[in-house]
Amino acid sequence: MSAVLEAHDLVVAYGGNQALHVPHLAVGRGELVGVVGANGAGKSTLVNSILGWSRGRPRITGKVTLQGEDISQLPSFARVRKGLLLIPEGKLIFGTMSVAENLASASIGDVPAGRKAYSVDEIYDLFPRLKERRGHLGSQLSGGERQMLGIARALRLGPSALLLDEPSIGLAPRLVATVLQTVKELADTGLAVLLVEQNVSAAIEVVDRLVLLERGNVVAEGPAATMRDDPRIAEAYLGAHAA
Amino acid sequence: MSSALKWPAAAILAVAGFFAPVLLGGSPAVYAALVLIAIFAVMSYGLDSIVSDLGEVSLAHTVFFALGAYVTALLSVRLEFNPLGTLAGTIVAALIAAGLLGLITLRLREFVFSLVTYAVAVVALTVASNWEFIGGSDGLRGIPAFEIGWLGFRAVGDVELWPVAFLLLLATLYLMRAFRRSRLGQAAIMVHLNPRLATMSGIDPQRTRVQVFLFSAPITAAAGWLYAYQRAYVSADLLETYFLILMLTAVVVIGRRLLLGPLIGVALILAQEKFWSFGGYVDRIILGSLLILVLAYLPGGLFGLVQTLAEARRRVAARSRSTSPHTTARKADA
Amino acid sequence: MNLTQQLINGLVLGHAYALIAIGWTVLLGVARLVNFGHGQMYMLGAFMTWYLVSRLGLPYLVAIPVAMLAGVAVGYVMQRVMLRLTLAQDLVSIMIVTLGFGYVLHGAAGLVFGSTGQILETPLSTRDIYWGDLWFTWQDIAIVLVAIAFFAVLKYVIENTGVGRTARMVAEDPALSLLAGIDVKKVYLAVFAFEGAAVALAAALVAPRTPILTSMGFDEVIITFVVVVLGGIGSVTGSYVAGIVLGLFTAFFGALVSPAYATAAAFGVLIAVLVLRPGGLAVAPGGR
Repeated sequence: MSAVLEAHDLVVAYGGNQALHVPHLAVGRGELVGVVGANGAGKSTLVNSILGWSRGRPRITGKVTLQGEDISQLPSFARVRKGLLLIPEGKLIFGTMSVAENLASASIGDVPAGRKAYSVDEIYDLFPRLKERRGHLGSQLSGGERQMLGIARALRLGPSALLLDEPSIGLAPRLVATVLQTVKELADTGLAVLLVEQNVSAAIEVVDRLVLLERGNVVAEGPAATMRDDPRIAEAYLGAHAA
Repeated sequence: MSSALKWPAAAILAVAGFFAPVLLGGSPAVYAALVLIAIFAVMSYGLDSIVSDLGEVSLAHTVFFALGAYVTALLSVRLEFNPLGTLAGTIVAALIAAGLLGLITLRLREFVFSLVTYAVAVVALTVASNWEFIGGSDGLRGIPAFEIGWLGFRAVGDVELWPVAFLLLLATLYLMRAFRRSRLGQAAIMVHLNPRLATMSGIDPQRTRVQVFLFSAPITAAAGWLYAYQRAYVSADLLETYFLILMLTAVVVIGRRLLLGPLIGVALILAQEKFWSFGGYVDRIILGSLLILVLAYLPGGLFGLVQTLAEARRRVAARSRSTSPHTTARKADA
Repeated sequence: MNLTQQLINGLVLGHAYALIAIGWTVLLGVARLVNFGHGQMYMLGAFMTWYLVSRLGLPYLVAIPVAMLAGVAVGYVMQRVMLRLTLAQDLVSIMIVTLGFGYVLHGAAGLVFGSTGQILETPLSTRDIYWGDLWFTWQDIAIVLVAIAFFAVLKYVIENTGVGRTARMVAEDPALSLLAGIDVKKVYLAVFAFEGAAVALAAALVAPRTPILTSMGFDEVIITFVVVVLGGIGSVTGSYVAGIVLGLFTAFFGALVSPAYATAAAFGVLIAVLVLRPGGLAVAPGGR
């Protein structure tokens, strides 16, 4: 399995303070990799920095490749056009536009061969709820609907890799499973997906591999099955008591 | 610098400042330039507290400046008040005007606030050029010499006016320093940098804004007060953009929240205009460009630039010392 | 006072105001930016047109696009210089920088065009129309027609085209727009270039109504400001309506009370509105 998305020696620093250091991270075609860790462990920093995006002004160094191509020097919007899509935490859609406009505006023209840009109809097939709500403004949607629309916008742009930052945050437990299942299905279509999740017990059910971050460093990494038994994961996040 | 050394140092600086015209040759042109520098610096300090501390841009400070000058002219020409009387009148008028403006703009922020203050300046210009009571487009002439009878003090020219201008400047510097250490100054900074945190610390942002306005306006107006005596007439040209751009540039060019920043800024600008002028239009281009370039490319002002350069040099020096002692040694030999 | 004549004056003036404000409306509605050099850019547009027509002898219809190109260049350079501030959304510095640009433009125009007033005469402004006891010029008609056409096209573009959608996305959330693959810097540069072209067009059309001076520009900023705020900060339709209301107000105030204080009075109305409704009349990012 060749890696679609790869990061080497990714370092993020605010002022002189190093907030994140990831020596190596790879996500293959059709692979779903989960990133877990406590609040402030650097999970969001990780996905944002892969895209070179942030609302602050950190210094990001290291190498990021997409399909083998070095994209570290490109501005965020150009990485998006290469097929690296981030669905950020919280605000994912344009509130003053309707659902239909949100979908129509997410388009970058011709997508190169090998990448699939979903048509609006395909989106409505995938998320029937969005079709029902297509005339509503983004600001009128519920949390789950926003999350769907955020993912849908990304799919419209023809991703080869998806970065999701806490898609389950603020959702009802029933919806969490639905959203994560959708993410899993997207990975199964051949996308490389990096999923940041606070809800470890839900995430571990769908991911192939798990990365544990603590204070900006990778402290454990491995297949979901083995990581489930890792004491650091089990104790801190799954509520299991070590025997 | 330790605080024990600070006061004597400040005193020495103050004495040196007082003798600055003599040290610079003592010619009438030097006195004239330094009196203007002192007046315009005081004018700029009023705006400094709004821009640097409160973090808003008031474009109405030319109005306070002109207000001080007009009140002084009216009181001294029509009612024959002495300079202390006109100063008191100036301060009262500035407080009233600032209070009104503060209340009107209480809930406005950022560009709407600035636009309203800009519009106030434009309307003031219209009124000053058309209202006959304050001289219309001719302005008011015949302001008497700066004279305080019971002190036996009478200033007819810039040389005699220098001590007054210098005292006004010192008083302003003292006030600014006290303001930045006061509860109000601290509150202003908090409202500026983190309004939510300020509110949670029990600070009322709107009240703070009005208070800073009330502090700021009399300072700029006091500069107008002395300027009226220096020029001996007032007219609507006091409301021109020149004074606004001068104030803004002086506030940002050296670096914000530096006590001596606006003074040095004004001194640089006036030195260029008085001694190395290229004519009115080119001087405009120079002043405007300076303002643009500093804001766009030097967020810390000239002082920030100097600091960055010094920092970089220190770092380079440290690195060459730690990595290759040979290079430094060779350099030292060369 | 001839009521119908004042009504016509007010309508022409109103369309002129709306036209002058169009660049700012887009600037605010699309980029959440302001430009205090707007008035001086208007002055420059007027003088460019004057120079091209009366000094170089170019036809008026050729002079207008050339003046607009100059406006594009000025707008582009301004935004290029302050791009860092724009991306950081540092409105305080942006305001001061644009004010500085206006000051520089004033100095440069004085250097090139001198300090004497000029009259910009166009083939339209010299041809009067008498209709009963009513009087106006072909220039007035051109102002009204161009303003209506400009607003209609602008409204259509913002609401129904990809360009308009991109602009509205950047207005609502520049950071999120990056994630949609939009080159936000380019949008900011384009918006400022548009502002330059729009204000130059307005100047070429409106400036023939009054003598032009390099020191003018002050009033235009204020009028623009009143139009934009009353119209609901960034709303295209709102600006058009506010422009016309303000034009009628100015015409009648000038005829009934005093022309010298008309701008001041318009500003008084604005203060009243702002005190009562601090956000302006309607605020929506990327508004229609």
